[in-house]
Amino acid sequence: MAGKTIVVTSGKGGVGKTTTVANLGTTLAKKKYSVVMIDTDIGLRNLDVVMGLENRIVYNLVDIIEGKCRKEQAMIRDRKIPNLFMIPAAQTREKNSITPEQMKELCSTLAAEFDYVMIDCPAGIEQGFKNAIAGAETALVVTTPEVSAIRDADRVIGLLEAAMLKHISLIINRLNAKMVKKGDMMSTEDIISLLSVPLLGVVPESDEVVVSTNRGVPLVHDRSSKAGAAFRRMAARLNGEENLPLDGDGSHGFFGRMKRLIWN
Amino acid sequence: MLGILRRLLGDRPSGQIARKRMQFVLMHDRVDITPDMLEAVKNDIIKVLSRYMEIDNRSIKVDLEQGKDFMALISNVQVKRVYRHASSI
Repeated sequence: MAGKTIVVTSGKGGVGKTTTVANLGTTLAKKKYSVVMIDTDIGLRNLDVVMGLENRIVYNLVDIIEGKCRKEQAMIRDRKIPNLFMIPAAQTREKNSITPEQMKELCSTLAAEFDYVMIDCPAGIEQGFKNAIAGAETALVVTTPEVSAIRDADRVIGLLEAAMLKHISLIINRLNAKMVKKGDMMSTEDIISLLSVPLLGVVPESDEVVVSTNRGVPLVHDRSSKAGAAFRRMAARLNGEENLPLDGDGSHGFFGRMKRLIWN
Repeated sequence: MLGILRRLLGDRPSGQIARKRMQFVLMHDRVDITPDMLEAVKNDIIKVLSRYMEIDNRSIKVDLEQGKDFMALISNVQVKRVYRHASSI
């Protein structure tokens, strides 16, 4: 059995990489797949707080790589889902405490045991980025509809293509449908045509995201959340359940609501 | 309301402005073509064209040109003669 290794990256910071990893990982685990999420943002870890697992950390990623613990000792089991694990980043170490080769080895070991290995990439395109993408076959590039995020996403896509990643797809986060309608925000179509990568999904801008990170409980646990529903659809698409309608601009009005009812 | 007023005054919506600006910026960012790569492109063009016609290898030029919102690769090749039956190759 060889699981999928997926890196979530963006170039720019603060666009929603960690939120994406937490929600996609949680959804896939809820579907009974075994999932391990790795936080590779050494020195600036956050996946632990987003998942609400910050007070269970004993060992971390660097400890596994340096052989200070077995990988099972650093894997923290989720509070709600028994087949979901997280490997935290080291908080007091440098990005160059690990190498791309070591990451590659770890990812392939984990892929042999898990259905999904989700890698949370740090912002930037330096060492941390190179480590994060080294062991991945698929990349999800997260962007928001802002010029700075899109420009950085384009740079990252170029680097991912140069690194020969097999699949690259796009996630548009924080789309504000009202602003798009008014013409004051680039639309999904605009962004796809600029970046020319296939779209995995669109997450509407939502206050619920802040509330869920405040609580340390991923959004997808909340059945009524629209942003959570967007992540659930993305996870399904990632899992090869094709032909789901894309959300975002098109999901409003009566038909949009009907579609949502049917697909969720 | 403000939006309509602005549009009447001939202001474009900011989303459109952003898209246009990004088209331009990304094109520039992406043009990271080294002279080596351009040379390789040139040699490949010569190779392909030579299957169909005799060309002047020394006169061939390959350049990138930046238009207002497009980028073009412009190549000038002097053709000496087209091989007969070239279409059947």
